[in-house]
This record gives sequence, C-alpha cells and structure tokens, in this order.
Amino acid sequence: MEDFERQLKDALSRKEPSPSFEAKVFGAIAAQQTGRIRFWRWAAALAVMLLVVAGFWMRHERQIEERAAGEAAKARLQLALRITVTELAKIQKSVRTSTEE
Amino acid sequence: MTFGELLRANQSMVFSLAYHFLRDPGAAEEVAQDVFLRLHGKMDSLESAKHVTFWLRKVTSHRCIDYVRKRGLQSTISLEDVAEPSIPEHHGDPLLNRRLRQLIATLPEKPRMVMVLRYQEDLTPEEISDVLEMPVRTVKSHLQRSLGMLREKIDRSMGDIR
Repeated sequence: MEDFERQLKDALSRKEPSPSFEAKVFGAIAAQQTGRIRFWRWAAALAVMLLVVAGFWMRHERQIEERAAGEAAKARLQLALRITVTELAKIQKSVRTSTEE
Repeated sequence: MTFGELLRANQSMVFSLAYHFLRDPGAAEEVAQDVFLRLHGKMDSLESAKHVTFWLRKVTSHRCIDYVRKRGLQSTISLEDVAEPSIPEHHGDPLLNRRLRQLIATLPEKPRMVMVLRYQEDLTPEEISDVLEMPVRTVKSHLQRSLGMLREKIDRSMGDIR
C-alpha cells in the first residue's frame, strides 16, 4: 500500500462516539417501546369504543326491524278485521233478507 | 451476543462511518442511533456477529446517503469552513489528515462512501460492492477517480507526499 493510501487510512481511522451514546441508544429504545405500548393502549381503547358503538347500532337496527315487523302485523290484523266485518255484514244482510221472505 | 454487547462492539464502526461521511458529530450520532434502533428491531433475524457487521455497514451507508439527500446537504460544497470536532489525532500528520477529510467530504455521495468503506473499514472492492449494492467495476472506478482527484488536490495544496 502506498504512503498516500496509508495516510488516507490514518485520516479515516475509527472515532469513538460521545460517552453518552450508549445511554442515548438505550433511552431511544425505551422511548420507542413506551411509544409502542401507548399506541397499543390507544388501539385497544379505540377497538373497545368501536365495539360498543357497533353494539348500540346493531341494537338500534334490531329495534327498527322489530317495530317494522310489528307495524306489518298490525296492518295485517286490521285488514283481516276489515274483511271479517265486511263478510259478517254480508251474512247479516242475507239472513235478514231470508227472514223477511 | 446480546444487544448491549453488539452495541459496544460496533458503536465505533457505525459512528465513524457516519462521521467520516457526514462530517458532523451530532448528525453522525443521530444516524448511528437510528441504525442501532433498527438493529434492536432486527435482532431475531441476524444470525451471526459477521452478519451483524455486514448488516450494520450496509444500513449505515444507505442511511447516511438518505440523510444527506433528505436534509439537502450539499456534498460538493467545500467544508473548509466547518469547525473540526474535538476528537484528538493519535498519529500521522494532523494537518494533512484534516485536509484529506475535508477533500473526501467534497466528493459526491457514493464515491465518498466508497472511500470511507475502503479506508476506514479496509474493505475490498468486492465487499464494498456487496455493502453498497453496486457493481465491482463501479466501485473500482469510484476509487480510482477519487484517489486521483485527492492526490492532485493534495499535491497542489500541500506538496507531493508520496
């Protein structure tokens, strides 16, 4: 190797970082882990909140469906009653006609 | 090896790669810290100390180049005005060493990293080619051109040292 290249190796010899470097790295790792834990806590809280909202929404939807089914049943019953009344009126009329004769 | 042992064994190598490339001790520590954070997350997938060293050199090199690009640092601007960090010189000619580092800092990103890997880490062109993911031919060409340029500038400014 030439002198010039030896000089380059000398110029680019390894240096030590500051004495606090190791502590900084461990601090950053701890901060990252705390950040991750905080993130998962928030994610879990958000998931619970979403489940509660979804539960309320499903309950509300079921109530709407039940109310609609009730309304339909009421309408069917009213129709049946109207038909019955009409039929009874017809029977009453025919009975009355046959009695008069 | 535990993470702490790997950190202690490699911190000088990682910091020096970043320092010689960026010429800023603060930025070099920032990059080195980021590299070790990534290493902490990759501990399970790295098989041996040799693999860790290769991985650290590769990630540090790429991270340094990204750092310069993202911060828009001008690598081609002369750094003669930048103050030297208070790192003591142990041997050689301090003035010449300083001048060489200043000249290396003026090289474009990839040739500069090639020079740092070659003369700090004593890697062969083949090893540099693996670390920087570039053809061996390109590595050799960067080395040749950078050496020629440095020699010429040193000769011009400080006289022939060969």
